[in-house]
Amino acid sequence: MTALLSSPTRVPAKPRRLALRAAWTLVGVLFIASFWGLDLEWAKLWELPSDVWHYFGLMFSDPDWSKLPEALFQTWRSVSMAWVGALVGVVLATLLGIPAAEGVGPIWVRLPLRWMFAVIRAVPEVIIAIILLTVTGLTPFTGALALAIGGIGTHAKWTYETIEATPTGTGEAVKAAGGNRMQMVRWGLWPSASPELMSLGLYRFEINVRTSAILGLIGVGGIGDMLTAYTQFREWGVVGMLIIVVIVVTMTIDAISGRIRRRIMEGAKSRDLDRIV
Amino acid sequence: MIAALAAFTALTTIPALGGVEIDLESIARNWSNGAQRVGMLLTPDWSILPRTWEPMYQTLSMAMVGTVISAALAIPLSLWAARPTNPNGLTRRAVRFSLNVVRAIPDLVYATILVAMVGVGTLPGVITLVLFDIGIVVKLVSESIDSADSSYMEAGRAAGGTQTQINKVTALPQSWPVMASQILYSLELNVRISAILGIVGAGGIGRLIDEVRGFYRYDALSAIIIEILVVVLIIEVISNGLRKRLR
Repeated sequence: MTALLSSPTRVPAKPRRLALRAAWTLVGVLFIASFWGLDLEWAKLWELPSDVWHYFGLMFSDPDWSKLPEALFQTWRSVSMAWVGALVGVVLATLLGIPAAEGVGPIWVRLPLRWMFAVIRAVPEVIIAIILLTVTGLTPFTGALALAIGGIGTHAKWTYETIEATPTGTGEAVKAAGGNRMQMVRWGLWPSASPELMSLGLYRFEINVRTSAILGLIGVGGIGDMLTAYTQFREWGVVGMLIIVVIVVTMTIDAISGRIRRRIMEGAKSRDLDRIV
Repeated sequence: MIAALAAFTALTTIPALGGVEIDLESIARNWSNGAQRVGMLLTPDWSILPRTWEPMYQTLSMAMVGTVISAALAIPLSLWAARPTNPNGLTRRAVRFSLNVVRAIPDLVYATILVAMVGVGTLPGVITLVLFDIGIVVKLVSESIDSADSSYMEAGRAAGGTQTQINKVTALPQSWPVMASQILYSLELNVRISAILGIVGAGGIGRLIDEVRGFYRYDALSAIIIEILVVVLIIEVISNGLRKRLR
């Protein structure tokens, strides 16, 4: 006892975390190897800030607003692609995603579907569009279809994850009352999962607004088309205007869609209730 | 609500306004044309593979360098953008707003403009990836700091720590797992994006995609797509495994 009291308090040694250190070393080695592999031009890297500043001046000191009507027309085309793509994609993804959820579909349905989603997720939308345009040509419809197909990959994954996360009680109750699988999904799972699925669907639209601008770069139309053209002409005033349009439109859509999503998830603010309480 | 959505959908499908013309007829008309191309896609020409190693290595290097640089920049920025770690409303809003602006521009649009600015090569690609990653990592991490349990930070403040000390000793260790997980996620996304950056001239395997597409070599295209697919899936499996261990 006395020995215990007299001995000075000792801080326990820090645990050695070999695995962590090894991981860090690996990251460092990979980083250096990749950096060498890229052989970036160092001279350019030093000139970069002044270059970017120079082009910023060209783009934003005097944006060329005379092309604004055309820009708005093309923006609407991009937004339309995004919306149609989101709508078709979300409907397909919901239909395919629900059977892929655990507790809904049997395993021989679940696994192939999940593999299909993973494969679609791995293919960028631009490549899907490149494949599709052999059939539908360079039209906004191709863009919308590419967004729809590309959207299935992620949205179906979110769908089955959402369905799996919903409480199983109501579904079991439907089963106990003699309902079949379809009825279980419709009356047991859908009512509790649908708000979240709707919200994710709108989020899909927000993502598609950005991707549709990218699809324009390969020529399916929309704001991306215009942006590539004027960047190649090096008409920086127009490019600056187009970037401002893209930023304003995207942020506005995000804000509106975000508000609707909050409304879906949390319901209306109940002012009357406050007054009563 | 439903009526509004239906009206919006109708508006987006009027070609005169710039909407999408739903042209199912063209699918039927061009089906034989498409079927031939799809036939080529289904018989991949593996002889292109030796030519893909170098651009694929470049793609992966770009993804790695982009992730590390953006991670280094994202750590201080996310502490700056969260309420508990930056009580100063003015700088917090400034950081958040500028990141919202950065996030509003799609990745390939950055790449196109940067290629025009600094020339064809991997440099514009890496900058694009860094900008894209900072946008999402900072948003997700700062939101998780916002919603995290801040009692440790209050304890730090009660003990008389400065904001920097509190951030370093409490907020940072607490948010490490989220941060690491988001950074891994951004690495996954980077591999996917850098595969197509080359289409606009920003380096990597996308350049090859653009080339074979120009020559209508759809059999070679499908070999490249399958290669990208395999690489992306491998990275996803590794990163999922690592992220599960982080939790």
